Amino acid sequence: MKSIDLDDVLRAALRQEVAEAAGGLDDLEERIVFELGERRPRLRVGDWLRQLIAPTRSGRIGQLGLVGATAAICLLVGFFAATHFGLDGAAPRIQRASPLNADGTQEVLFVLPALDANEVAVVGNFNSWEPTTLTDEDEDGIWTASIPLPPGRYEYAFVIDGRWWGQDPLADEYVHSFGEYSSVRYIGGGDGA
Amino acid sequence: MSTRRTECLATFLALMLGLTLTAHADIPLIDFEAALAAVPVSDVGRAIAAIEVGTGQQDFPSFEMMQYLQRLATTAYSESERESLLVDVFAALEEGLPIDGLITKGLEGLARGVPAVSIHQSLHQRRILLAETRDLLYAKGIFSVAPGSPQSVDTALPTPRFNLLVTHISDTIADSLEGGGSPFEGQMLLQEVRFRLTSLSGAILNPADVELVLKRLEPADLTRVALSAVS
Repeated sequence: MKSIDLDDVLRAALRQEVAEAAGGLDDLEERIVFELGERRPRLRVGDWLRQLIAPTRSGRIGQLGLVGATAAICLLVGFFAATHFGLDGAAPRIQRASPLNADGTQEVLFVLPALDANEVAVVGNFNSWEPTTLTDEDEDGIWTASIPLPPGRYEYAFVIDGRWWGQDPLADEYVHSFGEYSSVRYIGGGDGA
Repeated sequence: MSTRRTECLATFLALMLGLTLTAHADIPLIDFEAALAAVPVSDVGRAIAAIEVGTGQQDFPSFEMMQYLQRLATTAYSESERESLLVDVFAALEEGLPIDGLITKGLEGLARGVPAVSIHQSLHQRRILLAETRDLLYAKGIFSVAPGSPQSVDTALPTPRFNLLVTHISDTIADSLEGGGSPFEGQMLLQEVRFRLTSLSGAILNPADVELVLKRLEPADLTRVALSAVS
C-alpha cells in the first residue's frame, strides 16, 4: 500500500512540473522574435546597398537583386519615354504587304540590307524572273522595292551585283530550286501575309 | 439616213467582234509560230497544235509561254537542248495539264543559267507529277467540269479551280523532291501540301476545294505520286 501512495505522490509532482513548464512556453516564439528585433542593428543606406551587392551564402542573390533593380529602373524609364515621346509599346514590325489596292493587288515590300552593293534587284515568278531593281535613295545600305502583286504564292530571289541570293529573312518559306535556295511569300489568304 | 445608221451599226459590230477576239486569243497563233521557228522546233505543226489545245483553256498562260519561247531562242544552248526544254511543255498541253508551273520553272532555269539538262529533268519530273496528281484527284472522286457547266456534285470542280489544285499539290511534291526529300515520307509530304493549300485558301484557292482535297488525301497517296516521278 505504501508503495502505491508513493507512486501517486510522484505522479502528482510530475504533473505539476509539466504544467509549470508549459506555462513557461507560452508566447515563446513571439518573445524570441521580439528579442531578435531588438538586437538587429539598424541599417543605413550605405549598408543596405553593400548588402544588396554582396554575394550571399545561397549564391549571387545579392548581385541578381542589383541586376533586377537596374532592369526595373530601365523598364520604368523606357515606359516613361514611350508614353511621353510617342513611342509605340509594341515591337516595330516591318510591314511586308499593304491592304488591297482597288485592282485587287497588294503593294508587297521587298527589303534587303546590302551595305556594299552597287546594284540590287529582285527576280521571281511575279516578273517572269526578269530583274526588278531595288533602290537605296538615302544610301544607308537598305535596298527596297514595292511591287503590286495579286494574291498568290511567289518564289523569288535577290540579285546582288549579279549574284543570286535566295534567303530573304522576310520570306514565309524557302525552297530548293536548281540546287539553290529561293524565297517564298504568300500574299493574301490563310496563313499568308 | 438608213444607210448611215447601218454603216454605224456595222462598224460598231466589227469593233466589238475585234475586241472580243483580241480578248479571247491574247496572242495569235501566227506569233507563236514565229517564236517557235526562232527556237527552232523540228515539228512546228505538232507544237502549234499543242499550243492551240492550250489556248482553248481559260487559264492558259499565253504571255508567259511567249516569253519562254523568246528567251529560249536567245540562250546559248544548242538547238537540240532548246527543243528538249519544250518537249514536256507540249506533252503537258496535249494531255490537257496545266502548264503554269512548268513555264515558270523553265523561265527560272533560263534566268539562273543552269545547264539545259537540269531544266529538262525538272520539267520532266514536274510533268509526270502533274499527270499523277490529276489521276490521284480523279481516283479520290474529285473531277473537273468545263466552266459554266452545271455542277452536279460538290466534287466536280470548274476546270480552272481543279487545275490550281493539281498545280499546287504537284509543285509541292516536286519542290520537296528537288530539295532532297524522300518520296517515302508521305506524312511529311502531306504536311507540306496542307501548308501550301491552306496558305492559299481564300487567296487563289477556293476554301471548300481545299477542305475537300485535304479531307481525302492520305500520306500513302502522296508517296505513290512521288514514287512515280523518281522511278
